[in-house]
Amino acid sequence: MRYDSITEAIGNTPLVRIDPAVHGLRRIDLYAKLEMLNPFGSVKDRAAWNMARAGLPGARERGETVVELSSGNTAKALAVIAGMHGLSFKSVTNRMRIPEVKDLLLLLGAEIEELPGRSECLDPTDTEDPLTLFHQRLNQSGNAHLHTDQYFNALNTEAHETGTGPEIVADLDGRAPDWFLACVGTAGSSTGVARALRAHDPAVRVIGLVGEKSDFIPGIRNIDEVHEVGLFDPATYDTIESVSADDAIDGMLTLVRRCGILAGPTGGAAYRGTVRHLKPIDAELTGPDRRSAVFIVCDRVESYLGYVKQRRPELLGRPPARNSVTALTDTEVRAAQVIEVAEAQKWLAAERPLVIDLRSSFAYAALHIDGSVNIVDELFDELVRGGLPFGKRQPVLLACPVGEQSARYAALLTRMGHPDVRSLAGGIIAWRDAGAPLVRD
Amino acid sequence: MDTGPLYLEPRLAPRLGALLGSAPFLHMLVDALGSPLGVLLPDQIAENAEGFRSVYRRHRLGGQVFFAHKANRSRSLVRRLTTADAAVDVASLGELRHALGDGFTADRIMATGPKDPAFLWLAARSGVTVNADGPGELEALAGLVRRHDLPRPKVLLRLCGFETSGPRMLSRRSRFGTSVKALGPLLDLLERHRDSLDPVGVAYHLDTTSPDEKAIALEGCLRAMDDLRLRGFQPRAVDIGGGFGVGYLAHAAQWDRYTSELAAAVMGRRPPLTWGGHGYGLHAEGGTLRGALSLYPAHRPVAGAGYLDALLSQPAPTLGRPLGTLLLESLYDLYTEPGRALADQCGLSLARVLEVRHRDAGPAFVRLAMNANDVSLEDHGILMDPVLVPRDGEPAGPQEPVGVHLMGNLCLEADLVTRRTVFLPRLPRPGDLLGFANTAGYCMDFSATRAQQQPVARKVAVREGPGGSAWRWCLDEEYWPIEEYRPITDSGGRA
Repeated sequence: MRYDSITEAIGNTPLVRIDPAVHGLRRIDLYAKLEMLNPFGSVKDRAAWNMARAGLPGARERGETVVELSSGNTAKALAVIAGMHGLSFKSVTNRMRIPEVKDLLLLLGAEIEELPGRSECLDPTDTEDPLTLFHQRLNQSGNAHLHTDQYFNALNTEAHETGTGPEIVADLDGRAPDWFLACVGTAGSSTGVARALRAHDPAVRVIGLVGEKSDFIPGIRNIDEVHEVGLFDPATYDTIESVSADDAIDGMLTLVRRCGILAGPTGGAAYRGTVRHLKPIDAELTGPDRRSAVFIVCDRVESYLGYVKQRRPELLGRPPARNSVTALTDTEVRAAQVIEVAEAQKWLAAERPLVIDLRSSFAYAALHIDGSVNIVDELFDELVRGGLPFGKRQPVLLACPVGEQSARYAALLTRMGHPDVRSLAGGIIAWRDAGAPLVRD
Repeated sequence: MDTGPLYLEPRLAPRLGALLGSAPFLHMLVDALGSPLGVLLPDQIAENAEGFRSVYRRHRLGGQVFFAHKANRSRSLVRRLTTADAAVDVASLGELRHALGDGFTADRIMATGPKDPAFLWLAARSGVTVNADGPGELEALAGLVRRHDLPRPKVLLRLCGFETSGPRMLSRRSRFGTSVKALGPLLDLLERHRDSLDPVGVAYHLDTTSPDEKAIALEGCLRAMDDLRLRGFQPRAVDIGGGFGVGYLAHAAQWDRYTSELAAAVMGRRPPLTWGGHGYGLHAEGGTLRGALSLYPAHRPVAGAGYLDALLSQPAPTLGRPLGTLLLESLYDLYTEPGRALADQCGLSLARVLEVRHRDAGPAFVRLAMNANDVSLEDHGILMDPVLVPRDGEPAGPQEPVGVHLMGNLCLEADLVTRRTVFLPRLPRPGDLLGFANTAGYCMDFSATRAQQQPVARKVAVREGPGGSAWRWCLDEEYWPIEEYRPITDSGGRA
């Protein structure tokens, strides 16, 4: 495979059979269309390229900015495409909740504007919603924008009608699958693929998967939000079913761990929704004929580790570290040596112990005990994991805001064999309240 | 299409739930004092303040929880708070006089909002902290202090227009505060008035449900505190305003279902759910749903003290550490101004049913001795079912859920207590009461007027008797947080 441009590598993604031992369907062959293997990492590469391609030369001539309302994958693809063509890209969104995607977009050179949250006090003078205002601003004459408009642009659907759909048919030896299942975001892929498959065989059943309302699955709209999408037509789908964030993560785990498909939560949601929909149908099927079903894996797992960590921290759990404050007993913490402010001042003058301030550098820089060293607690925590970070003959005074955290570390260092570690009682706050000097230098 | 009754049952804490279950007591109150009637539960607000305090304790933070007085005009709520670990923020001369007169000392009062000269003068005269909106207000205050030889007032600087690097968070426009970009000139002003003004910190208040926007603002305040310090001031407090929210509804599923059906109704896929097909901000355009739902997010899993806890636990956008930790490490006090959230579950608005009018088509009209201004749920976008408080016990026979429209007592087409078709477990009868739960935060008296000379709701304060015995009540203004009739021992002149 030799290409002249990375955009030529968009499309022609593999259709991979899922092992029946994993999904448990007896008479239905289940296939995953691996859109995650597009060059920029998702199903949106097709739409982004199809929507932007024709307008790029003109946009470049006029020095326009490519603009899209996108929370992730479309923005990612457009940012790359814009960059390759010497254009800047701006994403406006109120849905960007995946920090890794945000950072990646910044790396790609995108400008991101996040729309404000909802008003806490209803404001009757606020006549327009932010999205309407955005469109009004965009449509004002004289604005140099190439707005790809993925939720309303027919070229989004077309990319799948002429690409994704026919590829599926070709890979199934010229037959359309009996079922096609897809998560609904812009509705572009589900609508386009459905059109292509139905043109081939009108009996194809199309199932749209939407998120549960109180849940959040990246890339999927919920049953109300799909109505806001111009490309969404309820008639496209034979059924619309909802999937939860739990389904998405469960499905993702199955694909990742058992099928070797490094799918993100949207692909996981599609897999779970598919198996759930087909299970009862499969149970009713008789005879020797095999049926087939296709679902879309729209992007990759790597960007969603934070999402998983937030919802299922146990999946990313690590064993507790040696020399950790979390392993201390209450008795040990209570036994830590503490020293009151007045005593501490005398001790400092007499024996010049090392004073370690565990607060953040931001707070330390503003005000601290003269001569103290700032080792932020997170860093200190890592330091002591390997052993004592100073000699045993060096007396140490630990200080934190209220003297709780420093007491824990004093107990830990004592347990590790240090003979003279003390914690400043009441912390820097008690120090300040006692009128003891704090400096900024 | 969903054809069942679309209930939006209110969330009821035990105290308010018990009160709503005491039908004879509530009828006795309305018989005596008329409809509409506001009923307040002062003990609840003390409990709520304690909830906020426990969040402060969890984050080891000092400071104050200021009740935003404008949320309710009640005297009993304010008087009860004087004995709790709480303070009060006042937004007018009247509220300041009320707070001073009802037992708050100046160290527990903060003046906020737009201020006229008399308000500024009394604030400075009495020594309350002034949350200043901008340079104009600071100049005016400094002038008053010098001309009238007043004590040097503590001031907080209300800031706005916070920005962060990386993704740009667009903020709703605000008329209040000084942009952080103009902090320099503001500090110059404070330096000029060093003798007449004592800057103790900075403040923000953002009208948003988004914790991300608040996190950006809070971090911006921490940086502004540093700027104050560089000019030689000793700031102590960061005031993060309020807007922590209230969860009004008992069931998330009811809210989800209702809002989905509302969208379907706007799209023409089911009969309307509102008077005249009103869409609460949504409209259909070429088969697509447009606009934004202008409703209060009435079911909120995280609200009030829980929201504050989550905000303080959230990492600062650029400094990385949790915001609560940064406040603590920087030795700053935290000020909060919850209004709605502190008044959560503290009140009930009662209205008598006057007439039930059946129509040929569509839901029946239920006419109430109350109007939309008496319980301004609609103004605040809060959708919540009233609780039916029967007059003569439940009627015999099977009960049918009904959808009705609630008409007010004004001769105005617009006077619907809510534009929503309200579902009730049965048709009410004249003489029954409808109890609008949880109205103490902004909904009870914020918009109440004497339009058409209809009565404005009187207010009573109620508390449970010892050991959960009968309810006791008094007029709101007669409430004091003391035991009413302690015996006075007459020592007969002996020592």
